[in-house]
Amino acid sequence: MKEKLRELRQSAPQSIAKGFRWAWAHKLRIAVLAVVFVLITPRPAKTQFLDPCCAIMQAGLASISSALSHVIGGGLNSVLSTDQAIHNFQQSVVWPQALITQAQGMVGTLRGLFSQTESLIHTPVASATLPSTQQLESILLSRNAIQIPNMTSIYTAVYGPVPGQANAPQSVRNMIDMSDAVAQDAMKRAISIDNLADLELQAASQINQSIQTAAPGSAPIIEAQADAWLVRSNAYTQAALADLMRVQAVDLASAGAGIKTGATNASSLQQKIQQMLQPR
Amino acid sequence: MNAVFFLLFSWGMVRARSHRQVLALALVGVTGAAVVAQPSITYAQGMIGAITSILNLINGSIHTALSGINSVRTAMSNLYQVVAFPTQLINQARAQVTGITNQFRNPMRSIFNISLTSATLPETQALESVMRNGQIGDFNTLTSNYHSVFGLPLSSTAASPQDQAMVDMDDALAKDNLKTLKEIDAAGQTMLQMADQIEDTASTAAPGSAPFLTATAVATSIQNQALTQKMIAAELRQMAGRLAHSNALRKRGTTYTNQFGGSIQQMLQPR
Repeated sequence: MKEKLRELRQSAPQSIAKGFRWAWAHKLRIAVLAVVFVLITPRPAKTQFLDPCCAIMQAGLASISSALSHVIGGGLNSVLSTDQAIHNFQQSVVWPQALITQAQGMVGTLRGLFSQTESLIHTPVASATLPSTQQLESILLSRNAIQIPNMTSIYTAVYGPVPGQANAPQSVRNMIDMSDAVAQDAMKRAISIDNLADLELQAASQINQSIQTAAPGSAPIIEAQADAWLVRSNAYTQAALADLMRVQAVDLASAGAGIKTGATNASSLQQKIQQMLQPR
Repeated sequence: MNAVFFLLFSWGMVRARSHRQVLALALVGVTGAAVVAQPSITYAQGMIGAITSILNLINGSIHTALSGINSVRTAMSNLYQVVAFPTQLINQARAQVTGITNQFRNPMRSIFNISLTSATLPETQALESVMRNGQIGDFNTLTSNYHSVFGLPLSSTAASPQDQAMVDMDDALAKDNLKTLKEIDAAGQTMLQMADQIEDTASTAAPGSAPFLTATAVATSIQNQALTQKMIAAELRQMAGRLAHSNALRKRGTTYTNQFGGSIQQMLQPR
């Protein structure tokens, strides 16, 4: 082994010299090898100034930047200016804060007038002077539907009861009872409609209070509720008018019935007088 | 890959026997090396392609999308300003409110305030005046004026208790209604004030403040309806009282008839 190494050490300078001689003799081949070696050797990191890719990238990024500025930036600016115009228009023309505040202030003023109206129509108007009539009037003007069941007895105390069977013909009793019934119905309806009207006034006042603190977007909701109340109120008015028409109809019917009864009684009286005057 | 190529090429160069083989190998080697070096050129070409595609994206899809958004926003702006809330029509509506107010309010007020009084005698003139003055502080005056025209309540010596009660109830219902009407007249004046205020505010309102006015106008209508109901209730009481009164007379008629019949029978009985 040592011998082999020694031989190799001795022959190495000769081999190197031989190689150099070969290379000197084949300069073209070495040059071609060098060129190919250079071409296929892995590239070092690219520099900013010498590498063409960086220049291409720089130009590309500049183009992208320019495009971003002009196309996207310009487009977004247009959108922004349009939005600003819409915002300004809505703020100054559609929903100007000053006019909204003014409307809310006006609603507040109306609330004051509401209270004034309520106190006006609640001024006592009672006028009866006798105990029985004062009682009846007190129930009639009570504006309290709970009082309705108490009315019949007091009504009878003032206007009298329906005559008994022995005291009047059935037709007259029917007429009297119907007239009393409708008169009492009307009085009861008057109490209930007064009560309802009070509640409507309270509701209207509360609705107006809500409007004062509403937003333009929520006011229509309150308005819808107020509309519903108005519809309801109209229905109550119609019910009251219906009772008014009933009482007028029965009044008319009662007047007609009086004439009918008078005619029957006159005829009956005539017959009785004739019977009395006939010779026996 | 490059190392294998270089080793093979080197081996071929060393083993070449003639100038021709050397030239042929050199040609093959340089061409091969050029091919091996291709990726960097391809890489540059790929970068240009990527940049170009980004630019195309920006100038194409994004530009188109932004233009579209801008068109839509512009259309919305136009819709608001030209169709939904055109300033000209808003001003026109305000002017119309003012015009109608100027045209109708004062003439209607004048018509409404025309004096309707018709009584000719001192007592009746006094009662008529107090009935129609729309004030609620003079109910006592109304009562005394009423009695001076329609008579005082019956005394216990002048009529039966039933007559007294009926007359008192008739008077009470009539006076109640006259007082209620004075209240309603006063409330009606307040209602007219409210209507004027709502209308005045409407003449300067914006589309965004108008809902407050419409809502409060509806609330006022409810109140107005309640007042109408109060009037109908009063009318119901009055009509019911009238019917009850005539019915009470009928009841008394039956009593009188019975008494009269009894008396006649007694008179005709043989003694």
